[in-house]
Amino acid sequence: MSDWTNILETRGLTMQFGGVTAVDEVDFTLRDGELRCLLGPNGAGKSTFFKCLTGQLIPTRGSVTFKGEDMTGWNTHDIVNLGIGIKTQMPNVFDGVSVYENVRLSSRRKHMAAQAKELAEKTLERCGITHLAKREVGTLSHGQRQLVELAMVLAAEPALILLDEPAAGMTGEERDRLARLVLESARSAAVIVVEHDMVFIRQIAKFVTVFNRGAIFREAMIDEIMADREVQEIYLGKQANVASA
Amino acid sequence: MEKSVLRDPGFYVMVAIGLAAMLILPVVLDMFTIMQITQYVVLAVFALSLGYIWGFGGILSFGQAAFFGLGAYTFAVAAINIGETTIPLILAFAIPCLFGAALGYFIFYGRLSDVYLGVVTMVVTLLFWKLANHTAGPEYAIGEARLGGFNGIPSIPVMNIPGEPEAMLDPVQMFQVFMGFLIVVYIVLRLLIASDFGRVSIGIRENETRASLLGYDVRRHKLVVFAIGSGIAGLAGAMWATYQAFIDPNAFSMEMSAKALVWVMAGGVGTLVGPIIGVILLQWLTLKLGTMELLNSLAVLGAIMMVLVLALPKGIVPTLRKLIVDGWTLARRKKTGGKADE
Repeated sequence: MSDWTNILETRGLTMQFGGVTAVDEVDFTLRDGELRCLLGPNGAGKSTFFKCLTGQLIPTRGSVTFKGEDMTGWNTHDIVNLGIGIKTQMPNVFDGVSVYENVRLSSRRKHMAAQAKELAEKTLERCGITHLAKREVGTLSHGQRQLVELAMVLAAEPALILLDEPAAGMTGEERDRLARLVLESARSAAVIVVEHDMVFIRQIAKFVTVFNRGAIFREAMIDEIMADREVQEIYLGKQANVASA
Repeated sequence: MEKSVLRDPGFYVMVAIGLAAMLILPVVLDMFTIMQITQYVVLAVFALSLGYIWGFGGILSFGQAAFFGLGAYTFAVAAINIGETTIPLILAFAIPCLFGAALGYFIFYGRLSDVYLGVVTMVVTLLFWKLANHTAGPEYAIGEARLGGFNGIPSIPVMNIPGEPEAMLDPVQMFQVFMGFLIVVYIVLRLLIASDFGRVSIGIRENETRASLLGYDVRRHKLVVFAIGSGIAGLAGAMWATYQAFIDPNAFSMEMSAKALVWVMAGGVGTLVGPIIGVILLQWLTLKLGTMELLNSLAVLGAIMMVLVLALPKGIVPTLRKLIVDGWTLARRKKTGGKADE
């Protein structure tokens, strides 16, 4: 791989669906080890941008580079094998198999059987779901399934973690645990979190990118964003006021 | 799923039942019944081919008969030309396997959805059926073997002991060898399913997107599963051809593909024992109803199948398994005064 400064970069990234431009010429950079939150109202283009990064959508124009490697239009599994862990908006888990097997299938990708087993067990413990190890994932609550998916992401030991609405459907306790996990993971990997939940955002965010109408509207520290009247009124609405109260 | 197959008592029980049937049935049953059961064994191997790709790879093929027929014709042509049956048997596995891999490449790398996969496999079967029916003239011959169009290929050599073309198997030996094939296919599939490859395949069946989000190449996995299933269907086709000493284009018929679907569905998708039980039960019913003086035995059979599918949507084996587990849990709860779950 070539020399690189930013772990992830997009240049002129554009995604069009027919006549609708969901992501419009987005230039985005993320430094190695940085934790970045992406905010914006529904339809702002966050999730489409996320899907362009993960290979779930092939962008109409522009490029995506990871550690200096152009991965635009690559298959999802090739992108993941570069060292990117992805958690999608709806929990994408293997419902018919146990929690342990879900996580082991992730750790097994890079490790031999014995190491994979050990890593899977450690990750379950780290995520606080060891007691669920034998449960079939399909029988768990939405919040628990979110944690299982996060454990799958972490067990792959990625260099960049992409999380799309990880706190959705979680109880307060689960959300606090998730916040701790995200902050802890950010010590060893770069992290991008797409999220609506302002309570959760305030728990984890430092530098924030706000999306609107498919483009980047603001990039600033969380306190600045929260104090920005335009952002508050137009993009976050009442939620911001509630969260900061 | 985490339980290793070698530590699963059910695996040994099934193999023991198979071995016992192989050794004991010829002693206690008459020749006609043994020949009848031999037919079930061949069809069980065929059902396993679909049971594996559908139940453990999430690939629903509406045209499994294409590989069955291809295996049967490959065996027939090769056996007539070579004059013995060992190499033809290997070819009958290898050629459908390769054809399945080629077809699978276009299906899976072309990102065809499940519905289109079903349509493509069905169309391929119909093409083979049509093609085989149009090979009646003497110009349609491969070496010594005339394809025979709708009349099929007669006088296919009976299976012989490897290296000894003159030493043909008698019906009892053929039953035992075929039982051996069924047991080996069952063991190989159980081991494959329990391996990392098999676990990933099950993951793909559960959620393709997540499998690719973990870095697994879903297309390649599905292609391999599909090719293995095609090879096993081809092997069953070869067994069918040598068992009957005759093969015709009906080996490619939609009826064969549909029967395989019904056997697997009735026995239970996601099990290996289910398709075997589905074959035995439904073929036995077909035979019995055929000998009874009913108004219309096919209509009765159809009604039975409908009741089976509606009453046991998960199939016989998973339903029985659930009943046993529930009964066991209830009994334990009664015994421990409601503390069984703790």
